[in-house]
Amino acid sequence: MAKRRKRGRKKARRKVVNRKPFWTRLFVILAILMAGYIAWLDYQVRHQFTGTRWSLPARVYARPLELYTGLELSAEQLLSELKALHYRPVVSPKTPGQFSRNGKDFQLLSRAFDFWDGQEAGQNIRVTISGNRIASLSAGNGKQAVSLARLDPVLVGSFYPAHNEDRVLLQLDDVPVSLTDALIAIEDRDFYSHHGVAPLAILRALLVNIRAGGVVQGGSTLTQQLVKNFFLSSERSLVRKANEALMALLLEWHYNKDEILEAYLNEVYLGQDGNRAIHGFGLASYFYYERPLTELAVEQYALLVGLVKGPSYYNPRRHPERALARRNLVLDVMAELELIPPEQAASAKNRKLGVSPFNRKAINTFPAFLDLVRRQLQRDYRDEDITSEGLRIFTTLDPQVQWQLEKVLEKRLKGLEKGLKTGAGTLEAAAVVTSVQGGEVLALAGGRNPKFAGFNRALDAQRQVGSLLKPAVYLTALEQPQRYTLATLLDDGPLTYTARNGDKWQPGNYDRKNHGEVPLYLALAHSYNVSTARLGLAVGIDPIIRTLRRLGVEQPLNPYPSLVLGAVEMSPLHVTELYQTFASGGFRTPLRAINAVLAADNTPLQRYPLSVYAAVEPAPNYLITTAMSYAVREGTGRGIYQVLPDSREVAGKTGTTDDLRDSWFAGFTGDRLGVVWIGRDDNQSTGLTGSSGALLVWRDLFVHFSGPGLAQTAVENIEYRSVDPKTGLLADAGCPNAVQLPFISGSAPVKNAPCFKGKRSLSAPVDWFKELFQ
Amino acid sequence: MRVSVLTTLLLFVQCVIQGCSSTAPREYPPPVVEKGQQAAVQPSASRRDAPLQTQPYLPPPVSAQDAAIVRSQPPAVVALLDQAEQQANAGELESAAASLERAIRIDPRNPVLWYHLATVRLSQGESSQAEQLAVKSNSLAADNRSQQARNWQLIAQARREQNDPGGAAAAEQRARELGPR
Repeated sequence: MAKRRKRGRKKARRKVVNRKPFWTRLFVILAILMAGYIAWLDYQVRHQFTGTRWSLPARVYARPLELYTGLELSAEQLLSELKALHYRPVVSPKTPGQFSRNGKDFQLLSRAFDFWDGQEAGQNIRVTISGNRIASLSAGNGKQAVSLARLDPVLVGSFYPAHNEDRVLLQLDDVPVSLTDALIAIEDRDFYSHHGVAPLAILRALLVNIRAGGVVQGGSTLTQQLVKNFFLSSERSLVRKANEALMALLLEWHYNKDEILEAYLNEVYLGQDGNRAIHGFGLASYFYYERPLTELAVEQYALLVGLVKGPSYYNPRRHPERALARRNLVLDVMAELELIPPEQAASAKNRKLGVSPFNRKAINTFPAFLDLVRRQLQRDYRDEDITSEGLRIFTTLDPQVQWQLEKVLEKRLKGLEKGLKTGAGTLEAAAVVTSVQGGEVLALAGGRNPKFAGFNRALDAQRQVGSLLKPAVYLTALEQPQRYTLATLLDDGPLTYTARNGDKWQPGNYDRKNHGEVPLYLALAHSYNVSTARLGLAVGIDPIIRTLRRLGVEQPLNPYPSLVLGAVEMSPLHVTELYQTFASGGFRTPLRAINAVLAADNTPLQRYPLSVYAAVEPAPNYLITTAMSYAVREGTGRGIYQVLPDSREVAGKTGTTDDLRDSWFAGFTGDRLGVVWIGRDDNQSTGLTGSSGALLVWRDLFVHFSGPGLAQTAVENIEYRSVDPKTGLLADAGCPNAVQLPFISGSAPVKNAPCFKGKRSLSAPVDWFKELFQ
Repeated sequence: MRVSVLTTLLLFVQCVIQGCSSTAPREYPPPVVEKGQQAAVQPSASRRDAPLQTQPYLPPPVSAQDAAIVRSQPPAVVALLDQAEQQANAGELESAAASLERAIRIDPRNPVLWYHLATVRLSQGESSQAEQLAVKSNSLAADNRSQQARNWQLIAQARREQNDPGGAAAAEQRARELGPR
């Protein structure tokens, strides 16, 4: 042939070529084309089937609830958690995902679940709650006491690929036999004997269709249906039908029945949720019944199988009567083929559809928190990996805290607006709650409407922080114990500062008064601007900026004097990072929203570990925290104790900016830190101070927590002295307003106050008081 | 004309053999930073970006005082400590760290837990973070000299690994002052 072609080209005389008859040539070319075409189809089939078959959205989980004796948990909280996990209340739990409740006694069969550190086996757990704590915990029908049991985590959201296909991948071993039996009975009885196409079935369908004068029955095998979904459009043409048959044959040639069946179970289209397509029985089970496939009853399998024929026509939520008829038809066929006994079919037919109400909210329940998760993921993963690789993301979200936060925000903001002239709907808010030592983000609100996935104020609103920055100024001073202690008197008299360029700066107090000489801890507690400004100028702006850097503030800071009064814009999340360092005893603890990421097959991919960085020496951190406790006891934060029990120690700081544009409160107890911001998106006045706005939200939230109050760990070089706040000098029983203040060793005042009367010196450390704080 | 048909066909066949799909094969998610667990399963999977000089995990010595402290913990914490120790001994260091973090979540101010986490990080070659965690443990152990001594020992070791012999000596000195190991 090559020779002939060569000759033909050389002579450029086509006529000389010894031609074969036209039809033979055409046939050869067609045969080659056909072979090529089949090879191409074959490649398609194999490539699609062997490679990653589906884009799987990432699944985002809340923190799992860890049950242990002593855990702070009310019966209602446990109930709400079980509800969010779609555990079903029954009289006596028999399958995983069921529970019974008798007052404060819970019996539950937990589900097995794969975590980063291995699988948590499902078990029969008994929980007794008393006084909002777990009083006892046992397993195996109450026979053995267990120290710890971890429930499966609440699924709080998914990151979908652009085409919005969603599925929960199943392996054939996980699929109940009654489901596959029913499916084969209804859709393709000869599945296990045909080679991909069933000509008789096609013929049968053809006859039916001709008689009916249109397409009413498909003769497609499961293999053909799979091919159709996998590779082809839904158009009904002869060419497509031929392709489908060819590919079905190829598929059956390469793969065994189980592989094909498994792919089918995952691929089949079973419903629509807005623009999200529900694919596969795994997800359909959650979509219609809110629980895993293995927990369904036979009539529920029957419904899902029935849906294959037409998920929208038989949509059980929209057309329950059609769905019911279809389900019962499937049950009849199952009984007829003796897959189930007739009595079982009869009783199953009498049961209701039992489909859960349509709940669009369940898809991405906490958009603002998920936004934070996604941004943290984007540092390590490409977008397409996040949406298509089926990553399993274990977050730090505590649904109990999040629900509470959403509730109080909504209620309090409405309440606040009633008292304001600005009108309803003008205020906006953001809030972050973290664990004090671990820096885990437990809850996050990006606005007052928690379901609105828009502007995430917790992350993106850059607002003036005002007095929230003052603790950094005071800390910088307190780190020089020979110059400053909590008892040092600061001058709050009028101040005019002239910059080198001649600009004048005259800070004033919020109450427009000057307070003379005030002890340092009260200047912070009452948030006096003038004394703070004077202190800040005395210690220097640059050292204050260095302190802020140590505390974890990363954004650009201008070295202007107004910095000391909080002329800095920060997001609520960044403010949280700053206060996290105070709250955790002086250790910068990077905030985490993610604990771990697993691949779709549960291979551990990445952990986001707890890490700490010593940023502030324990002693000065002890002092600044004490001053912030006074802010809540006696200062601008004292509204807290109108509601919180007096015994619960809180450290915190209010923040209010010019013209009342921003209302802030940042505060922490022994286990949780919360930062709340209230303001308006147009940056107009809210009419609220930190105390009359954000503080109230914080209080509403924290009154629901029964965790420990702040208890600072003892620090070696801290000693307590009784001090007269008026003079900052040593006090005794003769001083009516004496306070016990901590000092870094060697920095306590040595002179006695004028009120000091006793002969016995009280200047020795007051041990009993010190113990109170341990 | 005939040539072009043939070429097309050849290209087509080649395409079939080698694959001409416009969709490149998917890549798997990025850097796997998992260390302990993975390493036990596939030792060849050492990562270039994290050259780890992993040491064998040494269970922290437990004094009588510690044992008492551990016994007085909530049973959940004791269970997790046990689990972490088993995982660490099996070379699953990152799982051990995860278990310790679970324990810290339950009992965040327990210096023993922070110390164990520091030990795990040191075994993983993360000496800088190990030092920080030991300092954290110290900050919570004001009333527990033997815990402080162990923390300073660990800090000394961590500083040696960060090529800071001076700092290591100072830390050892602190450990000695706080009592015998």
